[in-house]
Amino acid sequence: MIPLDPAPADVVKLKVCMAGEAMVGKTSLIRRYVLDEYDDRYIATLGTKVSKMVLNVPDPTDARSVEVRMILWDVMGTRTLRDLLRDAYYHGAHAILGVADLTRGETLAELSGWFESIRAVAGPIPSYVVVNKADLESERAKTHESIDGHCGSRGWPWSYTSAKTGEGVEDAFRNLVSSVLRARMRPVT
Amino acid sequence: MTPRRPDTDTLVRERLRANANDVDALFVLAAIHANRGQLIEGVSVLDRVLRIDPAYPGGWIFKAKLHRMQGDDRAASRAERRASEESL
Repeated sequence: MIPLDPAPADVVKLKVCMAGEAMVGKTSLIRRYVLDEYDDRYIATLGTKVSKMVLNVPDPTDARSVEVRMILWDVMGTRTLRDLLRDAYYHGAHAILGVADLTRGETLAELSGWFESIRAVAGPIPSYVVVNKADLESERAKTHESIDGHCGSRGWPWSYTSAKTGEGVEDAFRNLVSSVLRARMRPVT
Repeated sequence: MTPRRPDTDTLVRERLRANANDVDALFVLAAIHANRGQLIEGVSVLDRVLRIDPAYPGGWIFKAKLHRMQGDDRAASRAERRASEESL
């Protein structure tokens, strides 16, 4: 795992990589989080998009606040090119935000492959899973218990998000950052 | 019905028809070539990406990978050094 760049005191730089199948909403989540915008049209991501976000979070080691300068890497959900491009995308990553689609159960199962591919390059970095499109409850493909069991058995912290309504989006990124900061104090399993 | 992402090759072609210097589409075109074993073409397209945008995210690391796949370790090392410089 690449050590976190401590920069000046109380400033941490993080490279966070999005992971997940095509059309789960990776780009929409970043757009909602960074710009607080949502666009219903689907525009497939090609190549790599990098966004930056600065947030202040409590340092789990003490009572101080830490300024986290997060670089969010949005990547294509094209699985056929995933392993070929994994060095380019995931080199130096500090954390993974895995995205599944509440209405497509298989997208949760596929996250294992994404995480494996990323960790082959970046090492045992922390991950957090979001089950996106929570606004489409009537089209839910997996029960809450089933999702919780799947994530729990793999040690993945998770929550619901909706890039469309904004529900849970900021909390998810904050939770991921907290996981990374906590992981500085102990080995990640 | 499960939604489908548009075919990547088609997307790349469409984007390059609209803008021949679309770096995202060119980056993916380089990957498509490499995935088909067309490493010379892949490197050539990637060089074009890096001429247009020398800081394209992941571009130099991908170039290093393609050179390693070609067995050109010296070129790979040069690309890796450049990747380090770009990340400073």
